[in-house]
Amino acid sequence: MTGSHGQHGAAMGPGAGELIAVVGAGLVACGYLLAARRLRRRGDTWSPWRDVAFGTGAAGVVWAAVGPLPGGPFTAHMGRHLLVGMAAPLLLVLARPLTLALRSLSPGTARRWLLALAHSRPAGWLVFPPLAALLDVGGLWVLYRTRLFAGMGHEPWLHALVHAHVLAAGLLFAFTVCRLDPVRRRWGLTVRGTTLLAAGAAHAALAKTLYATAPPGTSFTAGDLHAGSQLMYYGGDLVEAALAAVVAASWYRAAGRRQRRRASADWAYRGCARPADSGFLGR
Amino acid sequence: MSTPAHPYTAPGTGREPRRSMVVCGVIGAAVTAALDEIVFHQILHWHHFYDRSTPGVGLLSDGLLHTAELLALVAGFFLYADLRRRRALAPAHALAGLFLGAGAFQLIDGIVDHKLLRLHQVRYGVDVTPYDWAWNLAGLVLLGVGGALAVRAARRSRARSVA
Repeated sequence: MTGSHGQHGAAMGPGAGELIAVVGAGLVACGYLLAARRLRRRGDTWSPWRDVAFGTGAAGVVWAAVGPLPGGPFTAHMGRHLLVGMAAPLLLVLARPLTLALRSLSPGTARRWLLALAHSRPAGWLVFPPLAALLDVGGLWVLYRTRLFAGMGHEPWLHALVHAHVLAAGLLFAFTVCRLDPVRRRWGLTVRGTTLLAAGAAHAALAKTLYATAPPGTSFTAGDLHAGSQLMYYGGDLVEAALAAVVAASWYRAAGRRQRRRASADWAYRGCARPADSGFLGR
Repeated sequence: MSTPAHPYTAPGTGREPRRSMVVCGVIGAAVTAALDEIVFHQILHWHHFYDRSTPGVGLLSDGLLHTAELLALVAGFFLYADLRRRRALAPAHALAGLFLGAGAFQLIDGIVDHKLLRLHQVRYGVDVTPYDWAWNLAGLVLLGVGGALAVRAARRSRARSVA
């Protein structure tokens, strides 16, 4: 056994964990699309790109659970890890699921509960970006630098648990860094940017140590180990750049709104009408 | 964050030369870092993904540098777009900043990363001296061009404000 936990699915058919992932992702995606349809029928605008992002993210989770992935056992594991822990969470978070839920639920118990949960104190702690980063990247250090990774290959339930944690932590991290949904405490650009920088550095450093030293208790071939750690390094880069672009784009939009507000306040103060044709105003 | 005194000033008068220079300096440094990584790490394989002799601190600082370069590139482009949107971009200062940032990064990489921290060398298995000279002189030339452009840009804007 080389710790190639990913192969037990192929050998024995989908296990309980895979089944839960597929059914769960399917149900959640259906719920999202139905809620978005409800909003549009009511006359609200909801960008179709958010539907696409959410559907693709859910499909990524399904693919990671049952789909074939190229490369040796470690490379395939790393591909799965990238999909479940980074790419899919970013896509799911971009679709603003909490905003959609709050807007599509009719006023009543369910909506009140969700709002209470989003504004609760523990939720406020969880969305503190450094804590989310610690749960996400810190969890990876524990996974690859203790015997947990080797143990995961022997115990299907441990394998399912680890991947559930990777998905949950990835979602939390993307959620707090992007800050697209309304939550109790909204952290500023500096905290989120610094957190992204630190988490990215820790991720890159972990990928480089994996290139040199396999997780304890495993024996992958050198080629597999190198391909897997390079996938982690450059794949991580891609998602980090995408996260940074989301953060920067939201800053850009907010700055534009501030400029327009200041400009119109200024013109009101001078007692003039706003010039309609000033291209610099944007919309 | 500095903002123009009046947002409706005519194009060209609300320029922010210092901010233009800093933003493009960030882009220049990040582009040089990315070029280094793509050309020398991935295409030529001159220095490697991981040098086994590197100590832990070096590894972390390398990861930090790499991530910072990535984030700086993204942030730089959005800040640049904001300058353009506000018509606050001073093109001559921006170009000078681009060269200054690129040169500063090249020189710091050549001296701090290669020599002081010894993260990696330009090339292995050969006498590294000519490569080091080429590397650092290229940085100096970029810095020199940036400096000359900055002086010219400052002189021009002073002439314009007097006129």
